[in-house]
Amino acid sequence: MADAVSSRHLSKTYAYRGGSTVALEDVSFDIPAGETFGLIGRNGAGKTTFLRIAATQLLPTAGTVTVLGYDVAHEERQIRSRIAVVPQESRPLYFANTEELIVWYLRLRGMDRRESRRRANGVLEELGLEDVRRRLVSRLSGGQRRRVMAAMVLASDADLLFLDEPTTGLDPFARREVWGAIQRANRERRTVLLTTHYLDEAEALSSHLALLEGGHLVVSGTREALRARIQLPYRVTVDGTTGAEELSRYGTVSGFGDLRLVFAREREARELAQLALARGARLSLAPVSLEDVFLQLVGRPLDEGPEAESAEGAA
Amino acid sequence: MRTQPLYLLNTVASPLAFLFFVVVASRGALLSYGILGGMILTVLTTGTGIQSDLVHYKQDMKFQDVVVSSPVEAPIYVAGIALSEFVYAVPGLVVFLLLSAVRFPGVPPTGFVYSLGGAATLFGALLLVWAFASALGFTIATYFQDIRETFVFSPLISLIMTTLPPVYYPISSIPASIRWAAYLSPTTYAADLVHRAVCGVHSACYEAPSLAAAGVDWAVLLGLTAVLFFLAATKARWREP
Repeated sequence: MADAVSSRHLSKTYAYRGGSTVALEDVSFDIPAGETFGLIGRNGAGKTTFLRIAATQLLPTAGTVTVLGYDVAHEERQIRSRIAVVPQESRPLYFANTEELIVWYLRLRGMDRRESRRRANGVLEELGLEDVRRRLVSRLSGGQRRRVMAAMVLASDADLLFLDEPTTGLDPFARREVWGAIQRANRERRTVLLTTHYLDEAEALSSHLALLEGGHLVVSGTREALRARIQLPYRVTVDGTTGAEELSRYGTVSGFGDLRLVFAREREARELAQLALARGARLSLAPVSLEDVFLQLVGRPLDEGPEAESAEGAA
Repeated sequence: MRTQPLYLLNTVASPLAFLFFVVVASRGALLSYGILGGMILTVLTTGTGIQSDLVHYKQDMKFQDVVVSSPVEAPIYVAGIALSEFVYAVPGLVVFLLLSAVRFPGVPPTGFVYSLGGAATLFGALLLVWAFASALGFTIATYFQDIRETFVFSPLISLIMTTLPPVYYPISSIPASIRWAAYLSPTTYAADLVHRAVCGVHSACYEAPSLAAAGVDWAVLLGLTAVLFFLAATKARWREP
């Protein structure tokens, strides 16, 4: 399978008066063509910096990135005609109505009027925006505006879509609609690079993932390979009333605040659950998820606050 | 404009207010200069005014990032923004053209307030002012991180290019010893051309221009426009370093 994006020893340092911030350091991984690739990490991990470099908005400090076979540093024109981007915290132009905006964007990309309208109609329906097609964007809710941004790029004919936290601020129903559109893009064999804070989203949509932490690549691979990093398939979460020594008889134990996580095989997980229930302890039992992988690799959950001021914010 | 039509009045307000004060202060003597200066101020502020839009679209809405990562090149984007901004200059230009029609009688053979050559000169000079101001606005805007920074520069550019130089008044009003400073502003040359366009055929002008030759005016305006376009193409941060 050819790679849509290939990063080799990529580094990015933001220099500013009186100092600099390293946003990415020696990052190498590949994004296979035709797949949805989830780039996960906390605020300041370097996700947006990576996306902006690959989307030809930002130059790397060192290393190389090739997108669709072209070098981002020198062959940006060849890349730009084949990509489309929803930047983080982007907002649609407020003085147009929803349909106009999508058609304008497609026309801007060189699509003819008839095809632009056809695609706009399709995406409006798909993302549940039909009712607001003639409404000025300035009169839409925040969630609707995010969906309009997603609709613009999903309606395009780009081979590679960059979506930087496209569902932030959306209600669960709207999130699912955006997910559906991303899945549809994937079925069309288009490549999607998705950055997100939501691990359930990354897990649901991405066949491949990479985890960034503090500008470094922690791990990358297929969803299944990442899950397999935790050998034991179940996680039992119990409150702290049960001792770690006792819990270790059932599996691998790690502490997390007042809770203890036990990774166990199915039989041990059931036994532990019965024991905890018999003692009246609070517990949950679930298959291992990406969140568990993240927790094990990084040592703290994704939604815990950023270590320091976001490097991306300094850009 | 669609969401707030009053924006259209915004570009008329400042040039008209300035005209009002100039006319009152000169007891009407500088009315002709004021009308012609108002046209220059209108197109200049429209051109430099794109910096606020560009910074807003780039920093607050991230729209520029959407465009950068698309087949659209920077000159097309800037030309689009500049043209859309120019719409706001239209009411102001219409007002000042009407005022000039009242102030100056029609000239044969057109019966219009400007001769054909004068109209072409006026159009060309205003076009160049708008073009270099737009290029300047774009280049500056790409270095700003916050729209509030443009609030500092816009009045400063207006001050340096329209309030201080002889746009609303004749250059002879400036003391001879510092008159050279007026020629540091490109709008001095544009004003000279515009005054020629009218005063060459009308006696209503307070004072016919006399210092710079029309050829020099055109050369300076064309040269500056070319330099600013070159700077916009090479120094503006379309893609961030």
